[in-house]
Amino acid sequence: MAALAPSPDHAPQGALAGLFSWRSLTILLTAAAVLGPLSLIIYQSLLSAPFFEANKSVGVDAYRFIFADSDFWKAALNSVLIATGMVVIAVPLGGLLAFIMERTNLPFKRWLEPFILVPSFVSPMVLSFGYVVAAGPVGFYTVWAQDLFGVAPWGIYSILAMTIIAGLTHVPNVYIYASSALKNLGSDVEEAARSAGASPFRVAVSVSLPLIMPSLLFSAVLIFFLGFELFGLPLVLGDPEGILVLSTYLYKLTNKLGTPSYHLMAAVAICIVAITFPLVLIQRRLLVGARKYATIKGKAGRMRELPLGPWAWIAFALILGFVFVTVVVPLSGIALRAFVSSWGFGVKLSEVWTLDGFREVWNEPTHKRAILNTVLIGTVGGALTVACYTAIGFATHRRNDGWSRFIDYLVLVPRAVPGLLAGLAFLWVFLFFPPLTPLRTTIFSMWLAYSVVWLAYGMRLISSSLMQVSPELEEAGRSVGASRGLISRSITLPLIRSGLIGSWLLVFMIFEREYSTGVYLLAPGTEVIGAELVSLWQGGAIDIVAALALINIVLVGIGLAIALRFGVKLRD
Amino acid sequence: MAELSVQDLHLAYGDNPILKGVSMDLNRGEVVSLLGPSGSGKTTLLRAVAGLEAPNRGTISIGAKKVFDGAGAVDIPAEARNLGLVFQSYALWPHKTVSDNVAFGLKLRKVASGEIDSRVKKALSELSLGHLGARFPHQLSGGQQQRVAIARALVYNPPVILMDEPLSNLDAKLREEARAWLRTLILEMQLSALVVTHDQGEAMAMSDRILLLNNGVIEQQGTPQDMYNTPRTLFAADFMGSNNRLEGRIEEVRGGDAKLVGEGWTLWGRKAESARQGEKGTGMIRLERVRLAGGPGDNVLQPELATSMFLGDKWEHIFHLGNTTLRAHGPEALAKGRQWLEIPRADFWVF
Repeated sequence: MAALAPSPDHAPQGALAGLFSWRSLTILLTAAAVLGPLSLIIYQSLLSAPFFEANKSVGVDAYRFIFADSDFWKAALNSVLIATGMVVIAVPLGGLLAFIMERTNLPFKRWLEPFILVPSFVSPMVLSFGYVVAAGPVGFYTVWAQDLFGVAPWGIYSILAMTIIAGLTHVPNVYIYASSALKNLGSDVEEAARSAGASPFRVAVSVSLPLIMPSLLFSAVLIFFLGFELFGLPLVLGDPEGILVLSTYLYKLTNKLGTPSYHLMAAVAICIVAITFPLVLIQRRLLVGARKYATIKGKAGRMRELPLGPWAWIAFALILGFVFVTVVVPLSGIALRAFVSSWGFGVKLSEVWTLDGFREVWNEPTHKRAILNTVLIGTVGGALTVACYTAIGFATHRRNDGWSRFIDYLVLVPRAVPGLLAGLAFLWVFLFFPPLTPLRTTIFSMWLAYSVVWLAYGMRLISSSLMQVSPELEEAGRSVGASRGLISRSITLPLIRSGLIGSWLLVFMIFEREYSTGVYLLAPGTEVIGAELVSLWQGGAIDIVAALALINIVLVGIGLAIALRFGVKLRD
Repeated sequence: MAELSVQDLHLAYGDNPILKGVSMDLNRGEVVSLLGPSGSGKTTLLRAVAGLEAPNRGTISIGAKKVFDGAGAVDIPAEARNLGLVFQSYALWPHKTVSDNVAFGLKLRKVASGEIDSRVKKALSELSLGHLGARFPHQLSGGQQQRVAIARALVYNPPVILMDEPLSNLDAKLREEARAWLRTLILEMQLSALVVTHDQGEAMAMSDRILLLNNGVIEQQGTPQDMYNTPRTLFAADFMGSNNRLEGRIEEVRGGDAKLVGEGWTLWGRKAESARQGEKGTGMIRLERVRLAGGPGDNVLQPELATSMFLGDKWEHIFHLGNTTLRAHGPEALAKGRQWLEIPRADFWVF
């Protein structure tokens, strides 16, 4: 029998075995971190009471309860309305901005681009708060408009306003995909159209935009999906009028019933995932399709930018208007609010100027710890996270076996679980999995949840770095006799170093911005600014919220400045 | 009257000059090839004519109309120049069918839809693509894609058709067929065409006139026969055809002839303008002009045979003469040892 299974080669068995177990350990840990919390939610949703209670039974009572609740259906309808509206607003605008920035001779466009991307780097909680203090019933811009024109013709506490704000602040998500598709589009197909006699506008309509349709479709699904994830915005802007969406409905369930109704929350969570997971799978298919389309492209090369002529002013006004509404208004509102004690009609800025908000933050150890934790989770935690993602990346790099495909799909799973639900699931894991319970009140719990929630995003960064390493470089290493492990350490890793540092910066910004994942994990010891903002906002501590929000913006701003300084690509 | 006229065209990318004063004419019904090594500026010249590159100086006229004038700030955009352009990559629009690709230029010219149909059909059938109108570009073979690209550029009857390496994306065998086909098509349709190529064989086979570009200037221009048989510079001689090259010193000049002397050999050849008595010189002869001689004679060398290669229709022999390698064609294999090689005076150029 031994003769039937000859050893295929005489490679050092120890190294191979070690590598194999290292790889399986990585895959096993990843699977546990992703599937553990999710299966806990599924299990909990099928119980009649919280899973730590004695008198629970298995069944679909929880689903029956929420399906009988009219608020649930109202919230679901609102979610669909808002998500659809966001697609209608964000996709055309994002595509248009991308075309202007990539293909035309608009002046100052390299300088404008970071501003277009800013809304995607600021926490939605912070942005929403910014809109309240800037454009709410007694916001700065509202009061100024009343003083100047006698009327401020807007209100922000409606579904329409929420949809518009959410749509506008998600334009960068479309912009990123549309502009990278345009970048990859060979200019020869456009030049062919111009030689055939097409004007710049005709080129855009007949050739460029149809050719990036797969990317636009992909971002439409993405935006629709993000619409179901919205939490901060409907929490802040929907609350005054009692407008609920699915995520806020889940969040308010506890208040509504007065008891920890984990089984109902789990059931709502499963309903949300049942909508988002298919969307994630559709996105994956669309992305593959978009790449196939890109392979038919012509030769990408130097091209003369399309001259806009007098249209340049309109394009310029469009971009400035967009930046004003999505960046200047909310951020200036927060910046002002952080330095005043109160604001309203008839109040003069010079009389209410104060640093009390920051003093309060400084005097309260919880808030100081929140700032420290936020910085730590972004820097040290971010580095550890990138290290973990890299390990997972290497476990699948240039291996086309079942395990690689398993990891491919595995990393998509957290993408479908909104941060709020993931945080809840991790809370349960830490509470009721005894070996982990001592870590519950340490920042580790927060870090683990963050890392799993952003797994798909991070893996995309890592694998795009890995893919840039030409396979010949690694094959050359193997042909001179290096093992896989040695090649990874001594060839691939050094080559992707700058990509990893870039990923670290992006992960830093994402972690500074994150808020919903921490909502349920917030406890003495695990404070982070994002989750603190949610809890303080619920408590009505506007001054502290403003000060903390400004500090949060500054932290993200530092990351953004460093990224721009070192030329880190803000998108893949 | 020239259909296309370029005068003293200069173009630079930043500090890097690409075209350094190029002038050329293209007459009606004429095929002109822009030939040159990569980096010589031939594609840039074509793209500047198309309006896809911005020259710094000079003029470009199509017919009587000036489309670019560096001094007068005339710069007609690409879409208004009414030229047909065939891309190296073909640049077919992947989201449009073959018919729609061809029809696009007519649609932009507001041609009535019935006429569009008939003209597209006619263009496709002329290029033997009649049955492929409903297909998408990715469903076609390379040769078919190339013909669609040509049909797309021809359908609106532009005065000049520009082709950027039209054959380079085809495989070797198909390329030879396409070359003959394209030449026939151009003659039949009486097109005025400017063709960029880096392949001298292709340039000679397809064109009435060749412009040889080197480093942003025109090195020499003329008919294929002129270019091949009477190159004026070493570069032109070397670029056209396969050659033997002999380095030596010009010891004597007598009339139009020069005596080139190397290590252990002396040859007479035709003196080029640049050759000076007493200076170093380079001798050059086309491979096929070297003759295997039976014995000593005028301009005969006696090199050592290194090896022989069978090419099918002939043999190629490789000889060593000191440090110089010589190659010659012959009908049969040769015996080892020294051989007599005649370098005919009239076919040997001394630069």
